[in-house]
Amino acid sequence: MDGYDAIVIGAGNAGLTASAAMAQKGLKVLLLERHNIPGGSATTFCRGRFEFEVALHQLSSMGVPEKPGPLRMLLNTLGVLDDLEFVEMTDLYNIVMPDGFKITLKPDRSQVVADLKERFPHQKEGIDKFFDLAYGYANQMLGAFFFKDPEITREKYPFLYEYAFKPSSEVLDDCFSDPLLNAVLSVYWSYLGLPPNRLSFAYLAMLLFVYIEFKPFHVKGGSQALSNSIANRFQALGGEIRFNCGAKKIVVENGEVKGVITRDGDQIPAKAVISNASQVSTYVDLIDSEQVPDGVAKEMQGRSLSPSAFTMYLGFDCEPAELGITECTNFVMTDTVFDDNVFDKMRTLTIDDEMMVLSCYDVADPDFSPPGTCQANVVTLKYGEPWLRIPPTKYADVKYRCAEGMLRRLESVFPNLRNHIEECEVATPLTHMRYLGTPAGAIYGFEQYTKDSMFFQPSRRSPIKGLYFAGGWVGDAGFQTTLQSGVSAAKSVARDLE
Amino acid sequence: MKIEDILKEFDGYNDVLAEIEVSRKYGRPYSHENDSADQYIDLLHPDRVALRVSDVIEETPSTKTLRLVSRDGYLPPFQAGQYIALYVEVGNVRTSRPYSISSSPNQTAYYDITVRRVPDGLVSNYLLDEVKRGDDLESSGPSGHFYYNPLFHDPNMVFLAGGSGVTPFMSMIREKVDLSLDRTVYLFYGAKTLDEVIFHDEMVEVSRRVDNIHYFPVLEDPPDGYEGARGLITADLMKEKLGDLADKTFYLCGPQGMYDFCMPSLEQMGIPRRKIRNEVYGVPMDISTEPGWPSDTKVDDTVKVSVTGVGAFDARAGVPLLVTLENNGVLAPSVCRSGECSMCRVKLLSGKVFQPAGSLVRSSDRKYGYIHSCASYPLEDVEILL
Repeated sequence: MDGYDAIVIGAGNAGLTASAAMAQKGLKVLLLERHNIPGGSATTFCRGRFEFEVALHQLSSMGVPEKPGPLRMLLNTLGVLDDLEFVEMTDLYNIVMPDGFKITLKPDRSQVVADLKERFPHQKEGIDKFFDLAYGYANQMLGAFFFKDPEITREKYPFLYEYAFKPSSEVLDDCFSDPLLNAVLSVYWSYLGLPPNRLSFAYLAMLLFVYIEFKPFHVKGGSQALSNSIANRFQALGGEIRFNCGAKKIVVENGEVKGVITRDGDQIPAKAVISNASQVSTYVDLIDSEQVPDGVAKEMQGRSLSPSAFTMYLGFDCEPAELGITECTNFVMTDTVFDDNVFDKMRTLTIDDEMMVLSCYDVADPDFSPPGTCQANVVTLKYGEPWLRIPPTKYADVKYRCAEGMLRRLESVFPNLRNHIEECEVATPLTHMRYLGTPAGAIYGFEQYTKDSMFFQPSRRSPIKGLYFAGGWVGDAGFQTTLQSGVSAAKSVARDLE
Repeated sequence: MKIEDILKEFDGYNDVLAEIEVSRKYGRPYSHENDSADQYIDLLHPDRVALRVSDVIEETPSTKTLRLVSRDGYLPPFQAGQYIALYVEVGNVRTSRPYSISSSPNQTAYYDITVRRVPDGLVSNYLLDEVKRGDDLESSGPSGHFYYNPLFHDPNMVFLAGGSGVTPFMSMIREKVDLSLDRTVYLFYGAKTLDEVIFHDEMVEVSRRVDNIHYFPVLEDPPDGYEGARGLITADLMKEKLGDLADKTFYLCGPQGMYDFCMPSLEQMGIPRRKIRNEVYGVPMDISTEPGWPSDTKVDDTVKVSVTGVGAFDARAGVPLLVTLENNGVLAPSVCRSGECSMCRVKLLSGKVFQPAGSLVRSSDRKYGYIHSCASYPLEDVEILL
């Protein structure tokens, strides 16, 4: 028969690793991608003499070769590690404010602590306490779940039991009285989409821990290099990719997956399907509603959609230093209070004093852009829904208005920036809807409220036999986590098909 | 140990459970979530636009404007300077060609595209000779990056046009006129003879009537008594007409020869790269004149192009792979046909291709052999994967 063991829908991070990992296990796999290029968000695009990185800011959990992190090990197992060149970033992050405040944190625990104590001498005790807690929590989390302790108890893992469901803001407020320091240590909330009063401490602690312990990395050639290398590896293992070929239906009969119908009308039989599309579109668009088991819709509707993003891609005709950019990762921050007010800002069709992240890969990798130039990727979070209410003829105006607001804010910290722009492209939540196909352009899957956080996420197995999920909709969003998610889904499929 | 048994001992677990219950009870169903977004995106970026020719306007002896209306009553908005790709079937060959929209973006009752005859041009001859009022056509949505960007372009715009390269500028000029935009426009339009100048009467008229529109046709072979500029668009001519160069952004659209001539002039005038915008304009008519073309390969050399799972075809070295695919009935997506948009990306499995310098291929695509088939020429037998 001309069917497949498994069809993977979507060549995002998780779709790619799922495909490659299944092919490694000898399964016959077809990967469908509706775009003409693999990667999903993990991609680059060209304008003029620049190749812009779309989504990768800081690759986590790589670690150095002597002390490899989980991601380095995963890429090695997939057989793509030697194909890629990783560049260690010199900073954890830099914070710049229009009032002139600037602080650079280094990806080294004792140095971060020392530097923070120097800048915030009145908060020395709180700083120690905060890092002890964050590290304590992260180590216990890993000990209990990553290393799969068979006997998990409160006595062995007190931080885990106390802090897993606690909002980050409670811990931050408990440690710091200085709101500036509080803000400085919580900016990673924007990598997760929820302000610290809504984000469980578990996430903030883990994020700080992995970035400091395994260092933030950038990959040469951008995230497209990563996507291309995994796609290439998959093909070398005998896997088949169809580009420009979206899935129209997952065929389900009597609660069991039978195959996939493509948008070209091709019906392809398969024993298993891994969906790297959103859980929402998988159940709502791809599967006939009468085949969706009771309870699925109910469980889904309890979750909310994460924000999308407004991103400006800037190519400059000068080196980063000339613009005053000295670090790779720069949080441009005006306000130091992050609470439910950030939701209001994420819903407006304007940009003013929102938190922004400006990533300049050229600081760590001078080859990233042509000699004498550099590029910046500047992003702020925006919910997608309000963008769907713009009259189409006004879309360009709104886009330029937001971009102008973003540029002005950037000019307040990097005054010379606009005079060096050679290329400028803007991606809005609508751009994400168009290219990723996620509902409302969500970039982080479902929101990770504590009730939807790591312990309460949807399973990669579904109630439909033969249907699996991989990606940020059934796990944490981000590069390392989605790449990992694909491998896990592949393992489940391989085990079930045996 | 089951995970639930562990979690229920965590501080705050019962609150989390209660919250989950409430969220599921009051959450909004997702049943129509995706459709609405797809429908909205279609209003901006449809895959295909169903068009009908509502009028054919004779512009010059070799040029006509096709006025295109929507068959379903809606045309997506565009930015002045953008193009659409027309998808046509000519003599059993399904192919596409990009055409800049020459009408004003201020209205979307119709798109005008202005087509100039290309000697032996498959599609231009078809559009000029066969297509008539009432005929149906199909296109892509508006595409391309050649437009005024208020974030960093100067509102003083210098347009350098050659041949049908004037079409995106007409859209920009018509937009300025329609909306009385606070922009100053200088159009330098190079042509051989006055006969070949498209929109000459309209440009003479608007430049007289509207402030801040300056029109300079530059003719190589002007008629007797012609008082305008002669020869080519030189640095001296631009300096004379423009005065201060510092506050202006330059836009170029025309055949390859125009870029080859004008880019060094702009550099000599001290115009920084960030103030120069180049529109893509197809691939060169004769690829063998491109820098880097191997001297031992002739454009008529025959090679074999094998497409995995599809078949093998005879091809010529001087013909882009995309054209060979189309000529053999292989469907391949394409939009810009200039090596820029990457819609026609294919994987080169073996053999060597020539890619002109302007082709925007991602660095890792180069490493893994992905090429843009519209701007890749087979120098020997090649094998590709669609």
